[in-house]
Amino acid sequence: MPQPLSSKENSLFRQVIRNYEEKQYKRGLKAAEQILKKNPKHGDTLAMKALIINSLGKTDDAFALAKEALTADMKSHICWHVYGLLYRHQKNFEEAIKAYKFALKLEPGSPQIQRDLAYLQVQMRDFQGYIQSRTAMLQSKSQLRQNWTALAVAHHLAGDLAQAEKVLTTYEESLKSPPSRTDYENSEALMYKNSIIAETGDYQRALDHLESIAKHNLDRLAVLELRAEYLAKLGKKDEAVKAYRALLDRNSEHPEYYNKLADVMGLDGSDTSARKAVYDEYAASNPRCDAAKRLPLDFLTGNDFREAAKLYLTLMLDKGVPSTFANLKHLYTDPFKKETLESLAHDYVKAKESQSGSESPAGELKGTPAGLYYLAQHYNYHLSRDLAKALEFVDKGLELVPENVEFHMTKARIWKHYGNTRKAAEIMDQARNLDLKDRYINTKTAKYQLRNNETAKALKTMSLFTRNDSPGGPLSDLIDMQSIWYLTEDGEASVRNGLIGLALKRFHAVYNIFDVWQEDQFDFHSFSLRKGQIRAYVDMVRWEDKLREHPFYTRAALGAIAAYLGIHDSKLVMNGINGSNGTVDDDAEKKKALKKAKREAQKTEREAAEHAAKQDPNKPKAANSEIVKKDDDPLGLKLASTEQPLVEATKFLLPILQFSPQNIDGQVAGFEVYIRRGKYLLALHCLNAALAIDATNPVVHEQAVRFHQEISSKLASLHAKVAEVIKTEFTAIDASTDLKKYNAEFLAEHKDSPAHVVSAVKIQKLLGEDQKTCEKGLFGVLSLKTDNWEPAAEALGLLLQWRSSEAEAFRKAADETWPEVTLFNPPPAPTSA
Amino acid sequence: MDIRRLEPRDIPLIQHANLENLPENYFMKYYLYHALSWPQLSYVAVDVSRPKKTPYDYPKIVGYVLAKMEEEPTDGVQHGHITSLSVMRTHRRLGIAEKLMRQSQLAMVETFGAQYVSLHVRVSNKAAIHLYTKTLGFDQDKTEASYYADGEDAYSMRLDLSTIRDQIRDAADSEDVDEGEPVGEAGSKTLPVREKDLKKVKVGRGLGVQALVEKDESKHT
Repeated sequence: MPQPLSSKENSLFRQVIRNYEEKQYKRGLKAAEQILKKNPKHGDTLAMKALIINSLGKTDDAFALAKEALTADMKSHICWHVYGLLYRHQKNFEEAIKAYKFALKLEPGSPQIQRDLAYLQVQMRDFQGYIQSRTAMLQSKSQLRQNWTALAVAHHLAGDLAQAEKVLTTYEESLKSPPSRTDYENSEALMYKNSIIAETGDYQRALDHLESIAKHNLDRLAVLELRAEYLAKLGKKDEAVKAYRALLDRNSEHPEYYNKLADVMGLDGSDTSARKAVYDEYAASNPRCDAAKRLPLDFLTGNDFREAAKLYLTLMLDKGVPSTFANLKHLYTDPFKKETLESLAHDYVKAKESQSGSESPAGELKGTPAGLYYLAQHYNYHLSRDLAKALEFVDKGLELVPENVEFHMTKARIWKHYGNTRKAAEIMDQARNLDLKDRYINTKTAKYQLRNNETAKALKTMSLFTRNDSPGGPLSDLIDMQSIWYLTEDGEASVRNGLIGLALKRFHAVYNIFDVWQEDQFDFHSFSLRKGQIRAYVDMVRWEDKLREHPFYTRAALGAIAAYLGIHDSKLVMNGINGSNGTVDDDAEKKKALKKAKREAQKTEREAAEHAAKQDPNKPKAANSEIVKKDDDPLGLKLASTEQPLVEATKFLLPILQFSPQNIDGQVAGFEVYIRRGKYLLALHCLNAALAIDATNPVVHEQAVRFHQEISSKLASLHAKVAEVIKTEFTAIDASTDLKKYNAEFLAEHKDSPAHVVSAVKIQKLLGEDQKTCEKGLFGVLSLKTDNWEPAAEALGLLLQWRSSEAEAFRKAADETWPEVTLFNPPPAPTSA
Repeated sequence: MDIRRLEPRDIPLIQHANLENLPENYFMKYYLYHALSWPQLSYVAVDVSRPKKTPYDYPKIVGYVLAKMEEEPTDGVQHGHITSLSVMRTHRRLGIAEKLMRQSQLAMVETFGAQYVSLHVRVSNKAAIHLYTKTLGFDQDKTEASYYADGEDAYSMRLDLSTIRDQIRDAADSEDVDEGEPVGEAGSKTLPVREKDLKKVKVGRGLGVQALVEKDESKHT
């Protein structure tokens, strides 16, 4: 029940609301106090006061006060609405929805509460609730078209296509005169309806509908594309041919149009010359078109391929297109095409070199340098790799164009592939110095520095292009601008530097960005309807539903999970449960690294403060106007000292398992988390999924054996039903198998693959083999004559972990085998700093 | 390479390309604002040759144009604006930027009846200035002092889109024998904005598009 106020106070209360809406919080607070002086138990005023102090950043006090308000006046819709708004602000959407529903029950006609509820419902994908809300909103304002469209969207998202279409039709039929031709909302609503009809799979009806609305539709491209698609699906070939030709006339750089055109023309794979003729037509009519010239290389074979490739390569290299290799490398999965392109590039260079006086203008990547550049990339590519040759061509190129950024960049990439992260970073920095205004090369330099674990240097490089005037300096700009690549690389470098807290800090930053991205859609639930842009909105909602499928998420999450597993395992070590791990030296190293990181963080802060002090005081910056929250854990020490690392790891893990189940690294990580948590069924689920993706993966072999071993000791203690399920579901290794023998067979089968050898040795050790034998097994990796040095790096890591006296000998031997790999280089002499 | 319209799912990699290439960066919501307000105007260039590393790889964006319509044009003339355009260094000299711009310009006229398109460019960015003025035909409008955060000046440029309008009209005329009949029933098959028809059309609801178009048309006639 609203508690009555005197008329003076009533007008004061209205002022409070106005003040709140206009963000005049101090004034609003004052007016509220005035009312409360006389009516200390006035619920609505208490609630408004709570809302205001929440806006001033005192969330806890606000909640306490809102509860007080509710106690004072349980029947007030304002109190419940405010309660919901506070939860909404805290992003506790479930509770917010409950509170809004209460408020709405008390005040069924309130459009504001209804709106707030509806947007939360669709944000939470409560489509049935959303349909209810939208129906109510339509009933209260049925003259607004967007209310009809919104209800259709609600049915559509809930999967009821027929109902969605019906709602749109009902509105159309209510129109007395046809809307203006330039009425965008109308144009889009018709296209939206068409997309719903198409979703039902009835293409004839979709086509008929499209024909009826096409004439004046403002989205010309969508009309053309959909028409072509429906015609093709309905087998109306002649018309479909015309439709795809019209699309190619508009945009001849869209490969899908060519493919569809070939389909509807009935040109199957066998008649390549007829297919090529189609492309030639467009190449002739659009001399600047790339797709028409390049795409036939995908399907041409033999001599036809050689001729077309020669023409294309010559054209591109004469023109000096730096992406020529990038545009052709997908053909390298075909050995014939790979060799042909290699010899054509050599021919090109030879021919150019023999033509005297045809040198390209100084510094330009045309002619001979372009050919050399192609060859350098060719020999740097993993399917045609010969790094020595790649370097040779880079150096030849640099003789001709010594100041060229592209050659320097490629040279840095070659060193990266050698494993020489130090040299790679140095040379990328040289490339950067050749074009200081280009952020692309600046970004690459920072990335290479991070790969070389130089995090402070990398941030300095980044700062040349970031906005550095906020208190947090360049890092806070990178976080604000959602620079996921940087945060992830910096996190991974921090792991390598032993700074787990800092690494977690970065991975959490990425996690938070995805939360923000999910939250970002909220405003569009109302905005898109106002704009009348429906199809794009529906696309967005569907994409947001699987937002964390993005590899950006998976990579950072895998980094976080590994870090948390490490924390969990080292806790076991400290508690003396496991064998020895982490040496005293190791700890000293970590302490040193941490000190250094602290110094750097302080330095950044100091520099930012100095920078801010130098700012023109007449130019107020964002930093002054916003409440800047100081990070109370800049090094992530709190994160790293969590008592529940496995719970934290699970938080990062779940979205991977849900959205990227086909990612084997995710399943492997899932196994590691669940087996440590004693959740054997879930661990088995991950293991089986990983086996289904790649049964020959060496780590999956390790996990299968570990699971077998763990289960045979635990099975008796498990719940009978769980044990039963495990027995039937775990089929990778039979229960009676002799694991040592099983592992030996695995090793014999994969004895030439270094990664498999390392995995087999790890299992030998686990099954009780003595350390000497295992060490010998790891040394075997060095004699396998392969360019892939990474398994040897893992082997070195194992030896260090076992505190093996052979570790140094292994490092030396690895350094001799792969002299360029920075990781195996002798440790730098201690400096007195 | 593939040139096509921007889709919401492209945004993380568009943002990534932007962060790699340019000092002017935006958070995701700003990209969403473009993609959901004017979905017809922004285009991407995708490296379709790139082999996938996981089943979840998104199309690799090597170039994009992020474009909008000016919401409240100070000159009262309906026009488009280029918010951001960039092409990866590794994919230059293929004419990608030009192709992206042309697609966007066409859609500005077709869908939103734009009269011209405007943009800002750093005074030191010779390559971009060359593209805009020589290849695409932009005019240098004026210089805006300290437009960029680092203090650099910007040239403000604009391109009149009447050529595209004429082309669309000619195309429409050639396929349309009903030309000249009353609005609403017949008229152009392709064209939302035809000078002849415009004056008969009622002022567009809500969007205010038509009023502005008509105003500018009257200047030309």
